[in-house]
Amino acid sequence: MGFIKAFYVMVYRQVKRYVSARSRVLMTVVNPLIWVVFFGLGWSNVFNFPGATAIFGGLNYITYLASGMISMTIFMGSFISGVSVIWDKQFGFLKETLVAPAPRSAIILGRAFGDSVTTVIQGGMILALMFLIAPGLRVEGVIPALIYGLMLAMGFTSLGITLSLKFSSTEGFQMIVNLLTMPLLFMSGIFYPISNMPDWMKAVAYVNPLTYAVDGMRYWLTGVSNFNPLYDVALLAILTLALTALAVRTFEKATIED
Amino acid sequence: MVEYAVVAENLIKRFKDVVAVNDVSFKVERGEIFGLLGPNGAGKTTTIHILTTILKPTSGKAYVAGYDVVKEPAKVRSKIGIVFQDPSLDNQLTAYDNMFIHGRLYGLNGDALRNKIFELLEFVELKEFANKQVRYFSGGMRRRLEIARALLHQPDVLFLDEPTLGLDPQTRVRIWDYIMSVKKERNTTIVLTTHYMDEAEELCDRIAIMDKGKIIAEGTAEELKSMLGSEVIYVKVVNNASCVEANFIEKCVRVRENLLEVVVKDASTAIPKLFDVMTSKGLKIVEVSYRKPTLNEVFIHLTGRELRDALEESGRPHLGPRAWR
Ligand SMILES: Nc1ncnc2c1ncn2[C@@H]1O[C@H](COP(=O)(O)OP(=O)(O)OP(=O)(O)O)[C@@H](O)[C@H]1O
Ligand SMILES: [Mg+2]
Repeated sequence: MGFIKAFYVMVYRQVKRYVSARSRVLMTVVNPLIWVVFFGLGWSNVFNFPGATAIFGGLNYITYLASGMISMTIFMGSFISGVSVIWDKQFGFLKETLVAPAPRSAIILGRAFGDSVTTVIQGGMILALMFLIAPGLRVEGVIPALIYGLMLAMGFTSLGITLSLKFSSTEGFQMIVNLLTMPLLFMSGIFYPISNMPDWMKAVAYVNPLTYAVDGMRYWLTGVSNFNPLYDVALLAILTLALTALAVRTFEKATIED
Repeated sequence: MVEYAVVAENLIKRFKDVVAVNDVSFKVERGEIFGLLGPNGAGKTTTIHILTTILKPTSGKAYVAGYDVVKEPAKVRSKIGIVFQDPSLDNQLTAYDNMFIHGRLYGLNGDALRNKIFELLEFVELKEFANKQVRYFSGGMRRRLEIARALLHQPDVLFLDEPTLGLDPQTRVRIWDYIMSVKKERNTTIVLTTHYMDEAEELCDRIAIMDKGKIIAEGTAEELKSMLGSEVIYVKVVNNASCVEANFIEKCVRVRENLLEVVVKDASTAIPKLFDVMTSKGLKIVEVSYRKPTLNEVFIHLTGRELRDALEESGRPHLGPRAWR
């Protein structure tokens, strides 16, 4: 009972705050657009030669890239959303949640879920735009893609929350996030297939939750995937659960000293 | 047996380079208003944070509402309300939403919650601002909202960390009124911290004076002040005064030809007796005044420093609600 109430109200709070902070929203949507337009259109002419589609599992490059943009939007939006924990530290609202009798797990899961829902909505908006750029995407893949997106978002909001519980300044947190964002994006199969990567990059890609979200969503949106789609969803779920559990554990132990 | 609402036993909290709380013990009875009075850096907030389960003591034990704050934090949390020294509202949300979120986190919902929110917003005179975002509130309005919020779930023990810090005199008095009526109407136990002597005297049934992590004296305001012993009565008479003697008079000095300074243990009982003694000697009184030693004098007595000086010397700046970015 107390669990549900606290979970629900934290979702309510995160969504309500999201609605009143539009500038952050804009950046996380603009970023993927810039990538798909400049990177995508630029490279799609390079990969114009006969047989090039074989590199991308039979897709033309713009479709290949466009099918990864929803993952990118959700990944970036959810990872950085952890910064709101630091704002809450600075503005004091975090204390209000630390001293509440509601289960801490409910508070943090509600918070992560609220932020996840908002980033998935952003991802959905980007996906709609991608249909204009890459008309080959499959409409029936949208719902499964959004479900994968929600798992991805839960994973990275949780990681963001865990990190921001350990940082007291937004600068420190943003530095870490920026440091991790680019490598994780490049080692996820969004821009080029994992199979062509050097071994050490492959190793990172295999433990990167984003990899499985990208591959799984690409499967639903284009029919092409690198892994068995069942592995994708299983591994994404496992990695997401691990990251979520870490956030719960960290918050359960949190004091105002952190 | 008295049931204590709060028990602190030998609390110690060490941060990297400072001992913020150094062997603090006290007990607060149910329904009492207990004050921690001390200068900046005395360790008041740290003590409150330990009692409200959001900071682990380095050693020592504490019980709030009968539960151990380290072992049963969830139980303690369900029994307490707190107004933090620093703001803890969500500025992006309305006053109503701040209350609503709090209510849900404390297991309330439905019409009961809604009615309670409006009742409390009315109590702190913020009802008309219910749907205004908190970032547009003044410091006093925020403080009142935080108090209303802390009362929403009807806590058994209410912690108020510097409830009137940085507020103007009228707002302070208004907040004192709220605090007194909470005690009267709900018999809530209140633990408050302050570095204002007048606040401690006005509100608290008992006061612990804290300095440098230690409680250096404890008692009612009267008891603390009587540590200094005497009170001074000034008596102005019509014509030439001469000193009087009686068993309740410790010392009598003629400071001006028509003014006597009479040192006694307790002025409130001595004044009527003094009247009798003086009229029997044919001295006609025109004016009587007496000065009680204040808590500030008690602090000087205990530490050799003024409470006010101590405030300045530790110089941890107090910012108001932090600005956005
Ligand atoms: N998180 C922390 N890390 C390190 N030192 C701390 C921390 N919190 C408090 N201190 C130190 O502990 C001491 C006591 O601080 P505390 O905030 O409890 O005092 P206070 O009595 O509430 O003072 P004030 O009147 O300024 O609120 C101070 O020297 C302070 O600098
Ligand atoms: Mg303090």
